[in-house]
Amino acid sequence: MNLSIIDWLIMLVYFVFVLGIGFALKRYMRTSNDFFLAGRSIPAWVCGLAFISANLGAQEVIGMGASGAKYGIITSHFYWIGAIPAMVFVGIFMMPFYYGSKARSVPEYLRLRFDEKTRAVNAFSFAIMTVLSSGISMYAMALLIQTLGLFHGIIPDAYIFHVSVFLSAIIVLGYIFLGGLTSAIYNEVLQFFLIVAGFAPLVWIGLRNVGGWQGIKRTLPATMTHSWRGMAHASTNTLGVEWVGLAMGLGFVLSFGYWCTDFLVIQRAMAADSEISARRVPLIAAIPKMFFPFLVILPGLIAVTVTSHMAGAGSTPTVLSAPSQSPSALLASTAHEPLDDAHPHGIIPLKTNPVSGQPILDSNGQPVYNYDLAIPVMLLHFFPTGILGLGLTALLASFMSGMAGNVTAFNTVWTYDIYQAYINKRGTDAHYLWMGRMATIGGVALSVGAAYLVTNFNNIMDALQLVFSIINAPLFATFLLGMFWKRTTGHGAFTGLIAGTGAALVHHGLTSPVDAAVGIHGGWIRVIHHYPSDMAQNFWTAIFAFTVNLLVTIAVSLVTTPRPEPELVGLVYSLTPKPVETHLSWYQKPATLAFVVLAMLVILNLVFA
Amino acid sequence: MGLDIRIPLGLIFLIIGGLMSVFGFFTRHSAAVYEKSLGINLNLTWGLLMFVFGLIMFLVGRRQKWQDDPVTPRPWERGARPRI
Repeated sequence: MNLSIIDWLIMLVYFVFVLGIGFALKRYMRTSNDFFLAGRSIPAWVCGLAFISANLGAQEVIGMGASGAKYGIITSHFYWIGAIPAMVFVGIFMMPFYYGSKARSVPEYLRLRFDEKTRAVNAFSFAIMTVLSSGISMYAMALLIQTLGLFHGIIPDAYIFHVSVFLSAIIVLGYIFLGGLTSAIYNEVLQFFLIVAGFAPLVWIGLRNVGGWQGIKRTLPATMTHSWRGMAHASTNTLGVEWVGLAMGLGFVLSFGYWCTDFLVIQRAMAADSEISARRVPLIAAIPKMFFPFLVILPGLIAVTVTSHMAGAGSTPTVLSAPSQSPSALLASTAHEPLDDAHPHGIIPLKTNPVSGQPILDSNGQPVYNYDLAIPVMLLHFFPTGILGLGLTALLASFMSGMAGNVTAFNTVWTYDIYQAYINKRGTDAHYLWMGRMATIGGVALSVGAAYLVTNFNNIMDALQLVFSIINAPLFATFLLGMFWKRTTGHGAFTGLIAGTGAALVHHGLTSPVDAAVGIHGGWIRVIHHYPSDMAQNFWTAIFAFTVNLLVTIAVSLVTTPRPEPELVGLVYSLTPKPVETHLSWYQKPATLAFVVLAMLVILNLVFA
Repeated sequence: MGLDIRIPLGLIFLIIGGLMSVFGFFTRHSAAVYEKSLGINLNLTWGLLMFVFGLIMFLVGRRQKWQDDPVTPRPWERGARPRI
């Protein structure tokens, strides 16, 4: 790839601003509260944009483009049914407890509501997962830079990967070390606008080239351009999931488990300047979130529509799309064959062996396509020099914020929920601020380690994806019962959480997707049921884990002593005074915004049904 | 926080948009550069749009800051920043 000076200049401007924001914010970081919670002083719209940007990391942009190219517009379920209802729920019902309880993190809420052991389980599993996700983001970024040959001719090819890893690590470390959460949030806002600025012209010019949405509809099979067609049965849609599994597994358990309990996103809302702002954060975030399929999924569809070579079908397990806790990352793990053999591949390049440069063939001798390159290839295909720099900046920005989001969540959970809780209870605030900075260094160093771990053991990605989904699957039941049933006890929550995780493991061990080898894909105990696809198995694992957690928590709670009610004020729905909204006009109330968001969601689904 | 995000946001769009439109202006007659983008000068048009967006953000950020300035600046703000 040949970049001219203007492209480099645009990228340079971005990196100067990224670090500049860190330096500008340094003098406001006086207490641990400033560093970890942004002083609870950020306006709702800024937090809202950061809320979606933090989630819009590598796995989203690359993975969604790849799935758009592979499965079609049906991928937008991961944005619509798989995010919006949960975001509305967390804003309207759950945020008063997260923000109002004065907890500084999600695990800390669990300690306030339940007990120390429930917090410990959540804090440790979350800390480990954030470090691994951040490392995977780093790995994906370095791999993409290497594949595109961004530094080709500037530094020797053998070092490109290492230079990319360390450069991104140092930049992320720099701005978080200096400006803490505020710095991360501000950079996420920059990143949001850069992604829109970089991808909107790409979609516009791409649509012009293929004859608009109607042109795509004419070229691609109908299953790829309708989001609800064939959802009645798993075998008639490209995802291989029937609508019950989709609505319950993705739309309820996985999406609520991620958007309502994951500290990575909740932390952004907790930084808002008031409780009413905090409640608006996810609602504000939901509006751009709804339209993001047009920026990240549509380029994938355009990439397969632009005709350059039509060939037989072949699909590939994606290497670049990284697993994460986000439900949308599930797409990345599935190597599901597109239904029709006439699936065109447009400008999607063949996957080549990095060493020999030869195309990789699958077991049937068919060439394998590298869907992960859908969006990068689109940028190179349509963007002339100049705006190409902007497009690449947008891509790099998304990788950086994916890492930064994880690192800020890690340093907070480490400092408040692990260090302060179990190692040094009586430090001064200045000491915890120092610890936060050290945790940032430690978190970044561990991420680099994780990135190399993934590099050396390529199939570790599947294993990590599995671990993430098993840990996250039952989580929402604990929060749901904790917030809305005052009888729930700490022992109940803890046992339920462990039982739910165990149920997820057992379910995974007893079932297997059709055509998958027994092992990492399931069935390692004994196969008693076959699912039509990896994704269906994932969704049903989550449904089982959630149900077991719910039932066990209720059962154990009924036989153990609940905490006295006065202790639970501000933590449980029925014992907490409803937020006062009388000073707000009807259109300022979060509920109004929620209805607007849901109405827009219904309209979008009808348009693309 | 003492820094309004709209100021750096405005600035980065002013600079990148400015760079792109200047580059687009000088390359407006070279068909070879814009062959990829179907003959459309994306640098000039999109660059100008970004420049305008940046300008609006920057100006709004400056104005807002002036309005929101506390009557008595907090200690760390005193004298550090020139009054606008």
